[in-house]
Amino acid sequence: MSSVKKRHVVPYLFIIPAFIIHVSIVTAPAFSTLVMSLFDWNGMGNAKFIGIKNFKEIFQDSIVKLSIMHNIQWLLIFITVPLILGFTVAIIVSQLGRTQMFFRTVYFIPYIISAAVAGKIWTAYMNPYYGLNQVFDKLGWEGLAKVLWLGNPKIALYSVAFVDNWHWWGFILVLFLGALQQVDSTLYEAARVDGASRFQELLHVSIPGIKQTIAFVLIMTIMWSFLTFDYVYIMTNGGPANSTEIMSTYIYKNAFVKYRAGYANALCVIQSGVCVLLYFLQKYISKKGGMEDE
Amino acid sequence: MSNGIRKRKGYQISFIIKRIFLLLMAIFAAVPLIQVFLNSFRTDRECKIMPLGLPQKWVFNNYKDTWLIGGYGQAYFNSFLTAFIVIIAVLVVVGLGAYAISKLNFRLKGFFTAYFFVAISLPGFLYIVPDYFVMNKMGLVDTRWSLIIVYTAMQIPFNMLLLRTFLAGIPRELEEAAKIDGCSELDSLLKITLPIARSMFLTIAILVFVSVWNEFLWSNTFITTESLKLVATRFVKFTGEYGSNMARIYTASVITIAPVIALYLFLSRKFIEGMTSGSVKG
Repeated sequence: MSSVKKRHVVPYLFIIPAFIIHVSIVTAPAFSTLVMSLFDWNGMGNAKFIGIKNFKEIFQDSIVKLSIMHNIQWLLIFITVPLILGFTVAIIVSQLGRTQMFFRTVYFIPYIISAAVAGKIWTAYMNPYYGLNQVFDKLGWEGLAKVLWLGNPKIALYSVAFVDNWHWWGFILVLFLGALQQVDSTLYEAARVDGASRFQELLHVSIPGIKQTIAFVLIMTIMWSFLTFDYVYIMTNGGPANSTEIMSTYIYKNAFVKYRAGYANALCVIQSGVCVLLYFLQKYISKKGGMEDE
Repeated sequence: MSNGIRKRKGYQISFIIKRIFLLLMAIFAAVPLIQVFLNSFRTDRECKIMPLGLPQKWVFNNYKDTWLIGGYGQAYFNSFLTAFIVIIAVLVVVGLGAYAISKLNFRLKGFFTAYFFVAISLPGFLYIVPDYFVMNKMGLVDTRWSLIIVYTAMQIPFNMLLLRTFLAGIPRELEEAAKIDGCSELDSLLKITLPIARSMFLTIAILVFVSVWNEFLWSNTFITTESLKLVATRFVKFTGEYGSNMARIYTASVITIAPVIALYLFLSRKFIEGMTSGSVKG
């Protein structure tokens, strides 16, 4: 009798520590974010219930609008550039023999280093006096030598996105490469027997073969585009003149600089809400487009 | 000229173009880092006049100066200590948990598995604000414990599912046999499953190490005391303070990424497999 009871308890004893740690640090606070978004709170003192006032303020806050626009720009960049680059290079690399591993290892390096360092290295390269502008100057490229990569509000966001791309595309490449290697090789042979060209092979064998990975990368890119923080915070911190302000940096400022915890929580709710919405939209579209089997 | 030769020529040209393209992309990925390494052996003046190229005169004092001024001895200690404790904690709770949801039968098994699947995609910004202010009240902010607790919690879901997928591939008969011989469930986990899953535990340890070493948002928010800062946050502070000395910034970058790069060069396959395994549905 007692041993039967023990058998029932043991699995719970095994899973409970991980569960409790995660619930108390992640899930429960996440729910409290939802609740606290209805309060006026500075993080320390007493919170005052104010209903949906925070959300009303968000809809009138011009910086929020600006931030969301920047996040959308970010999304448009990251859903095209690294995907096309990663996919193209993955196709070429997958045709290689032994050198495949070498290229894969090199392309992946920027992904493993800290965003703090990658951001600061490129900040140094983009320094208007001591950075690559010196090189452009010596090459006689006057126009390029005068560009303030991070100081010009018109291009600062693109400069940061460029650096994040540098770090990110190798990861996408490796994902695609891994998926391409798992495509059934007899399908290629069959296509060749049927007289398919390289391009037709790509269109009718490779792409359908990795459609699940494509769907995964799309979902990840969409969600991550609205959550991105590190590179912007490290390289420009939203400046100059809010030209690189995104949701995350604005939340961060509200929570830990202005100590408006209630308002920051409301912004977090909006941010996560947008993510969830886009997630389902993407799921819906890829299901309609036959990208997923579920 | 026959058609075949022309075709072959076209094939060769496209072959060369592809190779050049791959090489250019490799240069794009690696050269910014190689140049940082080279610049750490140049004088500040040389770095400023021309940020690209080989050192005209190799200097080695950048490392000593940066290491001492940046307080990197302390920062390295903090990062290694934090990573070490987090790795142990994650391996223990994830090891037990993944064993339960992959090997044992119990009523809420489905619930727990689903929970960790959903938990993977919870963004940090959804809980950083309450975590900060609650820990602030408890007096945990600006202590090592705050980061150790938070990192452990954040690492659980992904590694739990990674290990679960791996353990599910080990035949259950082995553990059953051990239990017939009188082993308890914990015994069979430690004596049978653990040795088989050793390489997976190593992968998890590496993934946790790298993410602790590289993490920025939380350590930047929770730790303000200089002597408690981890390497990545110490580095960002340092670049702010010595922003005018380019050679030191390049050197500090090398110091900050060196352990991760070294580990990667030895274990690149494990890195890549571990870091991209999230895309495979479990």
